[in-house]
Amino acid sequence: MSQKKKMTFTAGLKAQFSTKSLVLIPIAVGINLIGGTLCSALKLPLFLDMIGTIVIACLSGPWVSALCGLLTNVFLALVANPVYLPYSIVSILCGLVTGYMVRAGLFKKIWGTVLIWLACTVTNTISASLITIFVYGGATGVTGSSIFTATLIAATKDIMMSVFSSSFIENLIDKGIAFFIAFIIVQKIPKRFLSQYASDSTEELEEDDED
Amino acid sequence: MAKVSNTFVPKHTVVENINPMTKILAVFSLGLGTLIFPNFWLGLFVILGLFVVAGLAKLLKEFVKIMFGFGIPITVMLIFIQGCYSPKNRTYIADFGFAKLGLEGSLYALKVVSTLLVFLGTFYIMNKTTYTGKLVAALTNSGLPPKAGYLVLASLNVVPQMQRRMSIIQEAQSARGVETGGGMLARVKAYIPLLGPVVMSSLTDAQERGMTLETRGFGITGVKQTTYVEVEKSGLDKILNMLLILFFVIVLVVTVLMKTNII
Amino acid sequence: MSNVVLEVKDFSFKYRQTKRKALKKVSFQVEEGSFLCIIGANGSGKSTLCNALVGLIPHYFVGKMAGEIRVNGINVAESSIANLSSEIGLVFQNPFNQLSYTAGTVAEELAYGLGNRGESREKMVEKVKYVAELMRIDHIIHKNPLELSGGQVQRVAFGSTFIMEPKILVLDECTTQLDPLGSEEIFDIVKNLNSKGITVIMVDHDMERVARCADRIMVLDQGEVVAIDEPKKIFGNPDIVNHHIDVPDYVKITQALREKGYTSHEIEVTEEPTVELVKEALQA
Repeated sequence: MSQKKKMTFTAGLKAQFSTKSLVLIPIAVGINLIGGTLCSALKLPLFLDMIGTIVIACLSGPWVSALCGLLTNVFLALVANPVYLPYSIVSILCGLVTGYMVRAGLFKKIWGTVLIWLACTVTNTISASLITIFVYGGATGVTGSSIFTATLIAATKDIMMSVFSSSFIENLIDKGIAFFIAFIIVQKIPKRFLSQYASDSTEELEEDDED
Repeated sequence: MAKVSNTFVPKHTVVENINPMTKILAVFSLGLGTLIFPNFWLGLFVILGLFVVAGLAKLLKEFVKIMFGFGIPITVMLIFIQGCYSPKNRTYIADFGFAKLGLEGSLYALKVVSTLLVFLGTFYIMNKTTYTGKLVAALTNSGLPPKAGYLVLASLNVVPQMQRRMSIIQEAQSARGVETGGGMLARVKAYIPLLGPVVMSSLTDAQERGMTLETRGFGITGVKQTTYVEVEKSGLDKILNMLLILFFVIVLVVTVLMKTNII
Repeated sequence: MSNVVLEVKDFSFKYRQTKRKALKKVSFQVEEGSFLCIIGANGSGKSTLCNALVGLIPHYFVGKMAGEIRVNGINVAESSIANLSSEIGLVFQNPFNQLSYTAGTVAEELAYGLGNRGESREKMVEKVKYVAELMRIDHIIHKNPLELSGGQVQRVAFGSTFIMEPKILVLDECTTQLDPLGSEEIFDIVKNLNSKGITVIMVDHDMERVARCADRIMVLDQGEVVAIDEPKKIFGNPDIVNHHIDVPDYVKITQALREKGYTSHEIEVTEEPTVELVKEALQA
């Protein structure tokens, strides 16, 4: 289903932010957050807080996905800790990267999904590390990853590289599992439901009139 | 990840009655003021002031907990990272054997921590003393698109509901003997049957919720939306607004003077 | 005699990426102040029709549409869902999906639609008070809607629809998820509104209730209107069972009496006349 009819950027944006898509956002935020809660309940050393962002990228597009990422962080800032707020930029970028790559049809194939996974990992690592270093000076508290970072710094004496590499390894595993789970979920969404979200240019493919 | 709960409990204090916009201004004026100021002293004074405000808001206990709970570990971590390994370090004040503690890095660490604590503290007080409905109403009145207001409020209401739903499924699954313990792989495998049903039911719910919003006039254009929640602006708000702006301007001027005097 | 407030002409609809049409050339009219019940098996197109009446088709659901629906003379396809909300209101099954999720109290929830219309706070307060009394939720107006029971939430949802001041109410199985007590409370309110002149279009599975409330009944089967008539005529027609419809027990009783020759009276669809007939038959 390649989109031959090009919509203008603003028209495309408007179509993305229909009521139907907007009501999905709080739910995708919820998926992101309960993904994280579930991890701590199952004592998994992961975040898995991007599953909703990936699912909504498939349903509604890159900018809705980005907004979902932003809101996830705003939510965390409001109910948990404002430390999460600067990291909204990371969530927004990941949403955009995922959204545009899904739109290019990459999420339908295994190698494409791997590609999105890697792209997202790199985006996340770079942007999150920059924020950790420049906003927080290297650590955001005593968490597993902060201690790992500190150990690396002690060993290599290089703040920048240490933050980068600890973040990269963590992200690679975390995003890998998140994309795997999102892939399974998207496969399970009923076609009838999905068709209500498909953009208009892909419409009327299987139109058959029997009276 | 923190357990989500309704953050606002009315306590009928002076701080609670302040207009939400004033509180937002306070977050930015105090936070940015501390951020641009060249050393950590200003931040320290603002933080002390915040403890007084928290006391006025009858929040002191929780406030102390969050400020120290966040402040102490991050100070330790940053003094270690920046103090021992910052490339800016010239003068050393202590020697731990495996590393030397530098003055410049340590001061930088303190500066970062104080700024973070000012943001954290102001944000925390604003959040705990403001009914979110009122905050969004105030923002909507000041020009925030109603759709954005919807997203914030709906997220705050939908997420706890989904969490409740998931804990019900979690209980049902473990009653049916679905393993949620065991090895790492077993736990990852247990993840999907727990998350899947919530996701699917929530997605179909979303479609109906969209119908509801549409029939309630969501997305009407060309109309200035109004709210049932009243947002009042008192004389105190006007004074506070002026003081906050004055604070930022003074900090800005002092900062510029200090920088130009030194350099 | 009275005015036609709703007119459906040759209306067809097919959801995107489905093979079968959900509605096929549906035509009917509804008069002001009347009470129409729509019955039919699952998948017969009842909900699709309800969604079409309030403009959710074609403004929310995508698919292929033909024909026309006019509400108070307004062509639904050319209007908007928001504009139609002051003409026609919809209440559907799941109460918790009919909350805006923006409100911390029932009062805010009720006022949400008015806020979107930009009405003044004074008017909001006045209308919220009126509707809360009407829906019997004035005692819980300061509670969080998410902490209420299903029946209470459904009345909040009903109120939030009714506060938009529609002249026609469409109720799509709005009591299916409620306990009997909650259902009856809603029906009391519906009957009360109908007696005040509000036109009601109701989809329901409880045939006894349908027979009791409706002026007319419309039967849908596979997206087509197979009959539209008074309750007695609908349930008196033996063909009705071919459309997967179960008739009220009273119909079965009076029919049995007729077949066995105890009465020559026409069939009855409600309780009291049936009791009378049985009494007569017993005396004879």
